[in-house]
Amino acid sequence: MRLIYQPIYWTYRTVSSVWYWAQRRFTTAGLCVFGGFLVAGATGLDVESTVTYQSFAALLGLLLIAFAGGWKFRAQFSATRLLPRLGTAGQLLQYRVRVKNLGQSVYRGLTLLEDPADPRPPYAQWLEYQLAESRRVRPFRVAQRHRTHPFRRVKLKEAEVPPMLGLGEVDVTMNLVPLRRGILRFSGVTLARTDVFGLFRAFARVSVPQTVLILPRRYPVPPLALPGVLKYQEGGVALAANVGSSDEFVSLRDYRPGDPLRHIHWRSWARSGRPIVKEFEDEFFVRHALILDTFTTEPQSERLEEAVSVAASFACTVLTQESLLDLLFVGPQSYRFTAGRGLAHADQMLEVLAAVGACPSRPFETLEHLVLNYVSLVSGCICVLLAWDEPRQQMVKKLRQLDVPTLVLVIVPPGTRLEPGVMQDEPGRFHVLEIGKIEAQLAKLK
Amino acid sequence: MNTEPVPPTGRATPPGLLLATLVFWGWQSGWLWTGVAMGVILEAARFLPLRWELTQADFQRIWNFCFLLALAMGIYVFSTNDPGGGPAGALQASARKVSVSGLDTSMTLLRQLPVIWFLFVAAQFFSAGQAIPLAAISWIARRRQQQGTGMEPEKHINVAYPYFMLCLYSAGIHTNDGTHLYFYGLCGLLTWALWPLRARKAAIWVWCVLLATALTLGYYGVHGIGQLEQFANNYNSQLLARLLQPQTSAEVSRTSIGKIGRLKLSNRILIRLEPLNGSPVPTYLREASYRKYYSQIWQTAGKSDEFQTVVNDVGQENDWSLLPASTNLATVQIANYLTGWSKESSSAQGLLPLPSGTARLTDLPAFELKKNPLGAVLAAGPGLVIYQAHFGNGATMDEAPDTNVDLLVASNEVSAVDQVIAEMHVASATDREKMLAVQKFFASKFTYTLNIKNEMKAYTNSTPLGNFLLHQRSGYCEYFATATVLLLREMHIPARYAVGYLVHERTGSQRYVVRERDAHAWCLVWNSATKKWEDFDTTPAGMDNPAPSFTRPFQDAWSWLRFQFAKFWWSQGQFRKYALWLLIPVLGLSLYQILFRRKRKGRSPATASAKLVPVDWPGLDSEFYRLETRLAARGVPRLPGESLTHWLERVLVDPALTDLRQPLRELLRLHYQHRFDPQGLSPADRERLAREVKACLDKLNQ
Repeated sequence: MRLIYQPIYWTYRTVSSVWYWAQRRFTTAGLCVFGGFLVAGATGLDVESTVTYQSFAALLGLLLIAFAGGWKFRAQFSATRLLPRLGTAGQLLQYRVRVKNLGQSVYRGLTLLEDPADPRPPYAQWLEYQLAESRRVRPFRVAQRHRTHPFRRVKLKEAEVPPMLGLGEVDVTMNLVPLRRGILRFSGVTLARTDVFGLFRAFARVSVPQTVLILPRRYPVPPLALPGVLKYQEGGVALAANVGSSDEFVSLRDYRPGDPLRHIHWRSWARSGRPIVKEFEDEFFVRHALILDTFTTEPQSERLEEAVSVAASFACTVLTQESLLDLLFVGPQSYRFTAGRGLAHADQMLEVLAAVGACPSRPFETLEHLVLNYVSLVSGCICVLLAWDEPRQQMVKKLRQLDVPTLVLVIVPPGTRLEPGVMQDEPGRFHVLEIGKIEAQLAKLK
Repeated sequence: MNTEPVPPTGRATPPGLLLATLVFWGWQSGWLWTGVAMGVILEAARFLPLRWELTQADFQRIWNFCFLLALAMGIYVFSTNDPGGGPAGALQASARKVSVSGLDTSMTLLRQLPVIWFLFVAAQFFSAGQAIPLAAISWIARRRQQQGTGMEPEKHINVAYPYFMLCLYSAGIHTNDGTHLYFYGLCGLLTWALWPLRARKAAIWVWCVLLATALTLGYYGVHGIGQLEQFANNYNSQLLARLLQPQTSAEVSRTSIGKIGRLKLSNRILIRLEPLNGSPVPTYLREASYRKYYSQIWQTAGKSDEFQTVVNDVGQENDWSLLPASTNLATVQIANYLTGWSKESSSAQGLLPLPSGTARLTDLPAFELKKNPLGAVLAAGPGLVIYQAHFGNGATMDEAPDTNVDLLVASNEVSAVDQVIAEMHVASATDREKMLAVQKFFASKFTYTLNIKNEMKAYTNSTPLGNFLLHQRSGYCEYFATATVLLLREMHIPARYAVGYLVHERTGSQRYVVRERDAHAWCLVWNSATKKWEDFDTTPAGMDNPAPSFTRPFQDAWSWLRFQFAKFWWSQGQFRKYALWLLIPVLGLSLYQILFRRKRKGRSPATASAKLVPVDWPGLDSEFYRLETRLAARGVPRLPGESLTHWLERVLVDPALTDLRQPLRELLRLHYQHRFDPQGLSPADRERLAREVKACLDKLNQ
């Protein structure tokens, strides 16, 4: 069965290459003429019944001259992309490209195009995705849709280049819309010049490899009364000065076995000759855990993308409040990132989320262990889950048994209904977010 | 209706281009005044200030209407023979009216595309936006829009240039009259259309020279294609003969005599047959007969050009008499495909498989029917014909024997034939006894097989038929029929070689199917007593039919589907007649939606605002605006770009409004909350806003 995927993959690569080439090389008018040429050719085979073969010949003549005139473009130029460090999926990213004419010729009516890195995956990755899709979308189910352009990373717009004098330099404003989080790579930029009929374009390319980190898409989340209360935090945490409800340590005392080394006051020890440690006032503040479920075997999982977006939305919202936020998830290993107040900023948390990947090989219990290790520190948990099965319900159940207030958000395909299960007695803290309606459903959270 | 002119968006065609193109299309397709009218209407949009506020839903309804119109037009044209059609045509089922080929249908439809899509293009030209939302015509865009995954603003398209291309294309859908007027018109219009698109960097003379070069190339291309077509035409007949599936020819029958190996025959159902009114089932369906055998080929020997046209019965377009004098006839309904092609009538043609003694054909939707003196009936008509054959035991269409031909035995076969006759010992027998002896001879000493062994090669001195008669003594029907004809002729009994099908497989109670593997050959013998030709089959029974394979039911189901589709396609069923009638109410409903849905919405503004306004512009229904109007009338109008808060503070400077300061500020807060808070106002606050605004207005009016 898998044998049939090989020719499909090469067909996909060929067709997408041809379409990409045609879209860039032809102008809109050129595509119109080329389409007319193909249709006239197909129906003009019978030269007795129709005369469309005459339009076929005329359009062929036009296209030949357009190809000949638009094949080579010997411009010499350099380009520098003034790219911001970060972008956000789904939001317009605007930046400038500084183009310098290295020759003496004057150029007018040029167009600047970005050359993104080829987003098409290698065969193994593509096959993995197709097999997952064939499992997800059953045949003849209209409601279960296939995703259009699953590997496309960016929507590009070309820009007009102002007239360029010999050895001159111009700035061109480019606009693009990143479609996915992660690193967006560019290989170069292309200057295009149309042929005399305005149908076909000649290209001059320059290599400008560069990357930009695209942060996850975010949804507006209303200010939430998040579960949890002020909770005692160990006074000696390094961030005490910034986080706690007091400024400094309150006194010095003799060292007692078990005191952390970092609490030792070295100067006093030097003066007194015995170990002295700093004593801090107890710290109380709110600290939340944002638990992100990454356990899916589906490559390019739409559900995981939405979960990351939901997590990012919460990260931004929670970090504007007076609290700390721990992001807990499992990738190749278990991760915990803490942000909030003076410790780290929301954009750093988003950068972490931009790089989160699926964890197809490890069991869900890994996340459970990670969460339970840190649960004593946190005031409450926000769980963003990809399913509501037994292991996930077990984790939530344990959290509740430990008296940790928990808000559960489950990402589901459109039209799915879920029973609250272990959250039955707290339906207000159990939310099912359907793909495609997440923005509206998040806005309704209270 | 909005009378304010709206600036056009997207690239518009140059002034006059669409008028000229539609006039050109009208001239080329014979709809000149229609083209002129359409062009004038479209170009009038440049001068008339009238514009309609068409929404995406309106465009979608118009698109659906045009699509249904195209479908209805296709069925209409398909149902009529007259290109362009006449209303009566759709309701008639006569043979010629229903037999338009798919090619003609497509051509007529393609020619009318500018008319079909005119309404859609006109809607764009007279809409306020001057462009069409992509979601109105694209299901994918619409789905993205509904699911809220579209991250860009709504996309619009301008269909002016695509419509221009469509008109040019449709103008070329007509018979080639040998002139190049279409080409010249096309070049002129292309030049016009390309002018605004030209690259500004190039000098005009360069553009002109290159365009002239391109069109000159096109001109020579037209000539080149013409010559290529002539070359292909010369090659055509031979090529087609090879490409087309094998079919029976009235002139020649190439037998497989002498070929080694198993003869492969398919289970494909070719003919469906049903005896009517308790009539007997004919054993043989003959397609043609032949007289001269030489080198494994049977020929008609000079009778090939003697096809005579059969005239249909007076007043009965589909009834044809082959033997006018015959009576007491049995009737059988036959359905068979015509797989050949007639250049003269530009339609399908083929030999009809008919029972012996067929005198009359009724309900046969043929354009032309011909018969030859050897009993072959050639029909030109739709690809599938279903008709009744009336047959009896009387005379046949075959002409009386010609002793010069019907007793002829090829010299290279005489020796073997004579040896066999000597073996039968029938020198003094009557004709009937000789025939019985021949039948007995083959039945007792020969076996039937489709698998011809390689042993025949051992006898290289004799012909394949000689080998069959003297050594191999096993073969299939072509061997037996050919040998029988030659044996009878050598015994001075006129005989001919006949090809057709054997009817033996019953499906259902009274229906029979004939498969490709039932193709058969037998001989016709002249009965001097009754003066007629009779079927005489010496092929032994026990034909080695293999057991039906497990795929046979699937093949039969496929054949049935193909048959049903062919019935629909060639209008042998009733569906096509009613398809148009089914579409008319759908079209009517679609038109009703375009014309009246908008008005109906307009008549219920409260419902419309309740449904639409909160979605797009929440809070626009706030009563505070009435307050704003009233306060502005006191001489403090709100400045452009001024916020309500700022403006209200300016208004409240007036000492006369001292009492209203606090209530008005509170009302403004409620208004802002209603207008901009995603949560909106609670029902109680919403009611409070309305109530207190009314109270303030009352106070202001005192």
